[in-house]
Amino acid sequence: MADLLQPASVDEVAHALAHASRAKLRVAVHGGGTKVGWGPPPPADVGISTRRLDAVVAHRYGDLTATVQAGATLAAVNRELARHGQWIPLDPPSADRATIGGIVATNDAGPRRHRYGTPRDLIIGIDIVRIDGTAAKSGGIVVKNVAGYDLGRLMTGSFGSLAVITSATFKLYPIPAASRTVVIDVSEDARLKGSRHLTDTRSASLSGERPFDRLDAVVSSLLASQLTPTAIELETKPLRLLVRFESIEAAATEQARQATRIAESNGAGTTIVAGADETALWEAHERRAWEDDGAVIKLTLLPKDLSATLAWLASTGEAWEMIGRAGVGALLLRVDGDAAAQARVLKDLRARFAPGRGSAVLVRGSEALKALVDVWGPPGDSLPLMRAVKQQFDPEGLLNPGRGPFGL
Amino acid sequence: MHAAFLAALERIVRRDAILRDETELLAYESDGLARLRERPGLVVLPNSAEEVQGVVRACHEHGVAFVARGHGTGLSGGALPVPGAVLIVLTRLNRILDVDIPNQRITVEPGVVNLEVSRSVGAHGFYYAPDPSSQQICSIGGNVAENSGGAHCLKYGFTVHHVVGLELVLPNGEMVHVGGSAVDLPGLDLVGVLVGSEGTLGVVTKATLRLLRIPETVRTILAAFESTEAAGNAVSDIIGAGIIPAAVEMMDRLTVEAAEAAVHPNFPKAEAVLIVELDGSSAEVHEQFRVVEEICHRRGGTDVLIARNDEQRARIWKGRKAAFAAMGRVSPNYYVQDGVIPRTKLPEVLRRIRELEVRSGLRIGNVFHAGDGNLHPLVCYDEGIGGQGELAEQVAAEILTYCIDAGGSITGEHGVGADKACQMPKMFGAADLETMLLVRSAFDPRGLCNPGKVFPTPRLCGEVPGPYRQHPVERAGLAERF
Ligand SMILES: Cc1cc2nc3c(=O)[nH]c(=O)nc-3n(C[C@H](O)[C@H](O)[C@H](O)COP(=O)(O)OP(=O)(O)OC[C@H]3O[C@@H](n4cnc5c(N)ncnc54)[C@H](O)[C@@H]3O)c2cc1C
Repeated sequence: MADLLQPASVDEVAHALAHASRAKLRVAVHGGGTKVGWGPPPPADVGISTRRLDAVVAHRYGDLTATVQAGATLAAVNRELARHGQWIPLDPPSADRATIGGIVATNDAGPRRHRYGTPRDLIIGIDIVRIDGTAAKSGGIVVKNVAGYDLGRLMTGSFGSLAVITSATFKLYPIPAASRTVVIDVSEDARLKGSRHLTDTRSASLSGERPFDRLDAVVSSLLASQLTPTAIELETKPLRLLVRFESIEAAATEQARQATRIAESNGAGTTIVAGADETALWEAHERRAWEDDGAVIKLTLLPKDLSATLAWLASTGEAWEMIGRAGVGALLLRVDGDAAAQARVLKDLRARFAPGRGSAVLVRGSEALKALVDVWGPPGDSLPLMRAVKQQFDPEGLLNPGRGPFGL
Repeated sequence: MHAAFLAALERIVRRDAILRDETELLAYESDGLARLRERPGLVVLPNSAEEVQGVVRACHEHGVAFVARGHGTGLSGGALPVPGAVLIVLTRLNRILDVDIPNQRITVEPGVVNLEVSRSVGAHGFYYAPDPSSQQICSIGGNVAENSGGAHCLKYGFTVHHVVGLELVLPNGEMVHVGGSAVDLPGLDLVGVLVGSEGTLGVVTKATLRLLRIPETVRTILAAFESTEAAGNAVSDIIGAGIIPAAVEMMDRLTVEAAEAAVHPNFPKAEAVLIVELDGSSAEVHEQFRVVEEICHRRGGTDVLIARNDEQRARIWKGRKAAFAAMGRVSPNYYVQDGVIPRTKLPEVLRRIRELEVRSGLRIGNVFHAGDGNLHPLVCYDEGIGGQGELAEQVAAEILTYCIDAGGSITGEHGVGADKACQMPKMFGAADLETMLLVRSAFDPRGLCNPGKVFPTPRLCGEVPGPYRQHPVERAGLAERF
């Protein structure tokens, strides 16, 4: 195990990195450690943890902005911001352990990205330290700012391959007053439910492609409507949608009612959930993709391609489960079975997408599986450019070696 | 221009797509910042992405610098020609390539006019959110380069929030695709870096954009206040009530007068006019609008005007969006600034601007995006009066120092360009600028793409203030060649 340094200031980070780069030591950066399974673990000579950099530097609630250090957990930050009724509206899994730095580095987000986007949409400033110990910043503390290149966005999703993030500034939102979730069951036609005259052929077709068509119809109708949900989440066991509305009380309830009507007109069954039940529902939802064994694939696609992808998965004969952002097209697919079967699913899935129309990245998998497939998938024609950026920031490849996208 | 280079260009584009005639070049000497002028070496008007690629490749091969230009409405001299360089004008790449309503995407060429995008999908109930006041005349390519904003960006974000994929010709002539139409494609967020890079990293030849559903309800209120402070307090209360309006705009007496003279929106004659627009679900908008109305009254708002229909709303926006252009009615020349401050610092910064107005003797109008603290001070001057142009420039630069003092930025949406490159060291340290230039070196190692913009150079800024060090490309003498 490599040495783990826990710097308590930006100067200490700079000092540690400058030393590492002079001595040509490979450095692995750690946040909360919630995503170390993503991609191969970097071979490192020294580890740097951001844990002790955990302050909320400033909460400018009148301006709806906050500057926070990289090692603070999202949950801790949001607890602090809640004192003025505000938050960073990100809800990736394990918010109690995931650090701001890690969330930015992986551009991770949860169901509410349907409305609020991902870290790259909320970040307005960043402080970093380069491998040679140079501390630099871009952006600032104002929500609108186009002076200079946007290093904040360059760092989001870089998996720590370019520099160490020491703090970030976000634009904030007011915490909504009320919430309702409509659970939309598309697994069988609610209009036929309870009918005793179902023929066998009919029930067979219900378990086949029909529910996916219904899913597509409901998602499409919701997207085409003027409703403003904060989340449109898919679950496949059973096949259903969780559609959340967060606003003032009157609007959350009214919109939930309208969503119910849309779902029912497409033959889906609905239940409106609120209060403690709603909280429990979302907590269970968050755990879904990661709790059980199996390979986990982060899948992105255009919303209209979702139901065909599900139908294809159902036809593979493998055991799988999917959850995620149906309205945005960012999902997590868990595949059971042996490595060979998982690899087949991953490869076939990638082959379904024309360039730019979808991606499948392996975010959790056995060593056996990783030996069979490429974690990131086909890179497209901009990979040389990404390599050139990495080369500029970290010419000797000392920072989080191999951990960046496509092994940058 | 070398004959060999010209011959190469003629093999790529039609002869009439190359402008060299002095009088023809005249129209391209400046962009929306007319104060800065340069004669381009020549102008090319390619007709396709392939032609753009051919032109850039020829530039690369012959070591000729180039500058991309959209519709030339930029206000920071971003499309200002560089002497001896090629100006690549993208107005002929104006096709809408793909409309995908179910997935809420549209793919367009860079010369497409901003408003065209919304027009082309309006019948389906969708629109493109970023709405610069220049939206009838500016291009998507220019918007991407500047990360343009608009009145409604407070709630819906800027260009960067609405671009999902780009096709780009790199300065070495290679064509690459970054992002796509699906979200979160793996890799570095190069879209995030390219948007707002002011044409210094390559030439955009296609953009895939996100479309939004037209909201169920829109409500607009206009109120007059006896001071900008009072109007500012109303804005604070609105934000404090947990409301994120679609837009919050403020105009002061001078800009209201100018707008009145130009487009007759019939605004009240007051020290400050505040426009607040809410949109979204009916239930939410109705409840929150009531709160906004109450706040406006409580903070001393008079002449409250609530748009009763689309026509009334359109008139309010016409008055606001005409504000810049209308300044011509009250002053022979004006200089627009684009500084940003944390919204809560508004009273303090406005007070300093007023003191400066008195001290300098130049009138300064103020029209701003009050929700996000983006000021647009309009410094009025008369070029005919000796020295006033320079004075206006100094006054504008001083306003930017107030913004920086308040923790803000020198530009919120117009870009640094050639105009403010020398101000960058006031906002960023040497290490910050040097780190940004690493990105530049990755994309454009030879410094051929829109040189001299965004980053300070000794040639432009003389002795560069602060401890700024030269970029290696400059040191090698490459970037200073033109
Ligand atoms: C009256 C008026 C009102 C305005 N209001 C606003 C406003 O509300 N909000 C706002 O944000 N701006 C505003 N602007 C500024 C301006 O309209 C925007 O910056 C706009 O995006 C510029 O677009 P353009 O096509 O005119 O670009 P140009 O001026 O031609 O170019 C601007 C920059 O973009 C680069 N560029 C252009 N096309 C490409 C391409 N295809 N690839 C790479 N780089 C490219 C150029 O090199 C240059 O650096 C206003 C301007 C005017 C005149």
